[in-house]
Amino acid sequence: MHEWALAEAVIEATSGALEGRDPACLRGVTVLLGELQAVDREIFSFALGTLVQERPFRAAAYTLETEPASFRCSSCEREWSLADCAGLAGDAREAIHFLPETAHAFIRCPSCGSPDYRVQAGRGVRIHSLTLDTSGSCT
Amino acid sequence: MTDPRSPAEARAPIDSRSPIDPRSSVVASRVAGIQRIVAFCSAKGGVGKTLCTALAGVVLAAGGKSVGILDLDLQGSTAHLFLGVTPRMPQEDKGILPLAVTERLSLMSAAVFSGERALALRGPEVSDAILELLAVVRWGTLDALLIDMPPGIGEEVMDLARLVPRLEAIVVSTPSAASTAVVERLLGFLAEVKVPVSGVIANMTRGDDASVRGLASRFSVRYAGGLAWEESVEAAIGSPSLLAKTAAANSMERALKEAGW
Repeated sequence: MHEWALAEAVIEATSGALEGRDPACLRGVTVLLGELQAVDREIFSFALGTLVQERPFRAAAYTLETEPASFRCSSCEREWSLADCAGLAGDAREAIHFLPETAHAFIRCPSCGSPDYRVQAGRGVRIHSLTLDTSGSCT
Repeated sequence: MTDPRSPAEARAPIDSRSPIDPRSSVVASRVAGIQRIVAFCSAKGGVGKTLCTALAGVVLAAGGKSVGILDLDLQGSTAHLFLGVTPRMPQEDKGILPLAVTERLSLMSAAVFSGERALALRGPEVSDAILELLAVVRWGTLDALLIDMPPGIGEEVMDLARLVPRLEAIVVSTPSAASTAVVERLLGFLAEVKVPVSGVIANMTRGDDASVRGLASRFSVRYAGGLAWEESVEAAIGSPSLLAKTAAANSMERALKEAGW
C-alpha cells in the first residue's frame, strides 16, 4: 500500500504544475510507472481516483503507462532489461519495489557480473504529461 | 489515424521537455508532524556521527520524546547496528512505516531493504534514494527526526538542505586537526545554504576539546559540549538500553540541552 504515497505525490505535483492555470481545464494526466519499481497498478489507480476527488481537476483522466526498465553496465557497456533478471528472488523484488536503488544490492551485470551499472529507464513513478483544454473558457 | 482529441486539447502538454518527478511535492507534508528535524553531520568520516545520532535518539526517547532516526549513510548504514535492529521489510499504511526500535524510537534505513549487502550507488542514485525515502516514509507525529549523515559534503547534505523545511544541524568533530579542518568547510557550507547549526559536539575527547570550541566560536555557533573517549561504548553497540547507561549518553543529554532541547 505504499502506492498510496506515490499516488499522493502525483496529485500534489499535478496541482503544483497547474499553478496559474484553471485546474478545471485539466483533461488528462499520463503517468509513467517504471517497471523496476513494480507498482501495483490497481492500488495505484484506486489511490489516484480517491485522492483526486477533493481536487478541482477531478474530471481529468489518468493514463498509466509502463516504462520498461533498462540497465547499462559501466564496466562492459552491456545493456539489459528486467526480463534478463528472471532469477531475482521475491524478497529482492520487494526491496526494490520499496526502494528501487536497492537493485544495486541484488542485480548484477549479466555479462561481467559488475554491480556498477546505471538504471537508464523505468526506475519509478513520473508524470509524463498533463493535457489541458485550451478552448472556450479554458483559453 | 486522426487524434480523437480537439486540436486545442491535443496541443497542450504543460511541459513536454521532460517528465515531472512528483516525489518532492510531498516531502514537506511528510515532515509536517515533526517538531524538529536535525541532521547529525560532519564532513569527516569516523568521528562518531552515528554514535551521536543513536545516543541522542536513546536519550530523547528516555526523556519521553517520540523520536525517529533516518539513516542517510546509504552506502555505509550502521544506525540499525547501533540500535540492535535486524533489517526486515517494513509495514505499510499509505506509505512505508519506520521500524520500531523501542516504544518511542523508530528507524528507517536503506539497510532495511538491502540488509548487509553492499549498496554501491552513484550520485544521482543517492539523490533518488533520498528523495524516495523522504516521499514515502510516514513518520507521523514526532518530537524529533534525527538524520544520521554520511561523511562528505555531497548529495545527502545538498538534497536535505534543498528539500527539507526547518532543517537544522548538529555538527560532530573530534579534536584532531584533521577533523576540525574538514568540519570547518562543512560549517562554511551550512552557513552558505542557510541551514542553522544548533550545536557543535566534540566527540572522542581526552580532555582536549579546545580546537572544537574554537571552531564553534569562529562560526558563532553554540559549542554543545564534548563526549569523552569511552572504551565501554563498543560493548553497548546493539543495545539501546546499554547505550543509555554509558557516560557518553550523559554527555549527550547535556549537549542536547545546550542545543536547545
